[in-house]
Amino acid sequence: MKQLYYEVKKCLGCRSCEIACALAHSLSGELFKAVKEEVLSLPRKKVLSSKGRNYPVSCRHCKDAKCVDACIAAALNFNKENGTVSHDEARCVGCWMCVMVCPYGAIRPNITTRIPLRCDKCKDKGEPACVAACPTGAIILE
Amino acid sequence: MKQFVIIGNSAAGIAAIEAIRERDKESKIIVISDEDYATYCRCLISYYLSGEIKEGNLFYRPESFYKENNIELLLNKKVSRIDHKKNRIICEDKSILNFDALLIATGAHPKFPEIPGIKKQGVFGFRTIKDAKEIGGLLPITKAACVVGGGLVGLKAAYALKKRDIDVKVIIKSNQVLSQILDFEAASLVAKKLQEQAIDLIFGQDVTEVIGNGDIKAVKLDSGKALGCSLIIVGKGVSPNIDLIKETEIKFNQGIIANNLLQTNMPNIYTAGDVCESFDLTLGALSLNALWPIAVEQGRIAGANMAGANFGYEGSVAINSIEFFGLPVISLGRHKIKDKENGFSELKLEDTKAGVYKKLILKNNLLVGVILAGDIKSGGVFLRLIREKIEVSSIKDKLLQENFGFPDIIDLVKEKERLYV
Repeated sequence: MKQLYYEVKKCLGCRSCEIACALAHSLSGELFKAVKEEVLSLPRKKVLSSKGRNYPVSCRHCKDAKCVDACIAAALNFNKENGTVSHDEARCVGCWMCVMVCPYGAIRPNITTRIPLRCDKCKDKGEPACVAACPTGAIILE
Repeated sequence: MKQFVIIGNSAAGIAAIEAIRERDKESKIIVISDEDYATYCRCLISYYLSGEIKEGNLFYRPESFYKENNIELLLNKKVSRIDHKKNRIICEDKSILNFDALLIATGAHPKFPEIPGIKKQGVFGFRTIKDAKEIGGLLPITKAACVVGGGLVGLKAAYALKKRDIDVKVIIKSNQVLSQILDFEAASLVAKKLQEQAIDLIFGQDVTEVIGNGDIKAVKLDSGKALGCSLIIVGKGVSPNIDLIKETEIKFNQGIIANNLLQTNMPNIYTAGDVCESFDLTLGALSLNALWPIAVEQGRIAGANMAGANFGYEGSVAINSIEFFGLPVISLGRHKIKDKENGFSELKLEDTKAGVYKKLILKNNLLVGVILAGDIKSGGVFLRLIREKIEVSSIKDKLLQENFGFPDIIDLVKEKERLYV
């Protein structure tokens, strides 16, 4: 099961991953069209800094995920086959329980859509967009 | 082969089933519910009443769940008594079931004030699909409704009624909404949002009588004033369902007392969920925390232990997440300090322009309470600081900053980081 890892020493904090993520989840997939979409696509990972180091903060797809337990709508599931916490947006009611319990602060609320922002490893697209976009190779899928 | 009996078919019961089946595929599991439905998301009934979700999305597990897990599900069955000496339970229909291990996950029921007229038709609690359906059925002939209680259930009910274009008045005894989970400042932000949507909040009043011959006509308040309505929803908190153990030697206070393995004082009888009184990490004492995520966590541990595991339960923290009309609010642990309590300090951030209010309560550099209103990012990181009792003196100036997050506590947590290399 491939997971995302981050080599923080290599991370410049350039936020290319954030842009690539937002684009990959936009309708058009193109920057100048995406910024004009009615519902703006927001990044599902966020680079935060502490003590001079940059950390891309993103869902870790925990096996014993607190968010799955806390979800009052049964919208979250740990999918054993692909090692991913999958999110059924049609069931989600935007209660933010997942935001409240994520030990990594990796799930953020999108107040406009009432759907939390969380990494889906770019689902079936092969390599996640953030991995391809990172100019220093700080994001690793293995 | 053993026989496991689980009383209760909601969050804790389902988590227990899954935990047992992870370890034991063979033994018999019998699940008893006094309701008429397969397991459903109790917390969603307000969204169902409001019309935001369909009945199908209420169900917590697929239809095939019970069959796939080889569960005997007994609906519409109420347990009247537990005979722990003989390891059996006796139901109201006189049927008897034996168990090797039992889980009491009977949940709780709404409390109703003891006032004249409260038993009239048209007065509802708000906890079950049945409640939501009956209330929904009355809405076409309802113009005005009163909600009694300004807690989470009351406000969610008021929200749903408003979405269905009913005139709603919420009668609140204290001077703020959500007094069990928020301080006055955060509550004021929530109240403002509700009032903007024309939900009428009446503070400092309690109901003294439900008026009407047959149909409800009004509720009477402390002040003597009467408010016209034909529907009343009561949200005055819940009380654990413990009738079935009252005549036994199983120990209880308000709820059934659980040890750190979620056993009662009878080693083969476990308890979890809203009925369970367990150790509260921020109060340092036994407490009821009737909350969905806690029920799931407890159910999972109790189930595993019933099937032979030996998992400890560290304890619960009161955790609430709510959103009304675009204002998200999270409350963790303590939300107020009483005047007499020493050794506590508060950190506050108020940004009226952005509609953000944050308050942290600390004791000896440990976080014991958090309120986040308007900006709830990294809520789970705060919860972690509380649960893991992490000393925060080195990051105090960071906690209320906009970009506070997991990286700020990475050196303070015990786990070895695999993700960042």
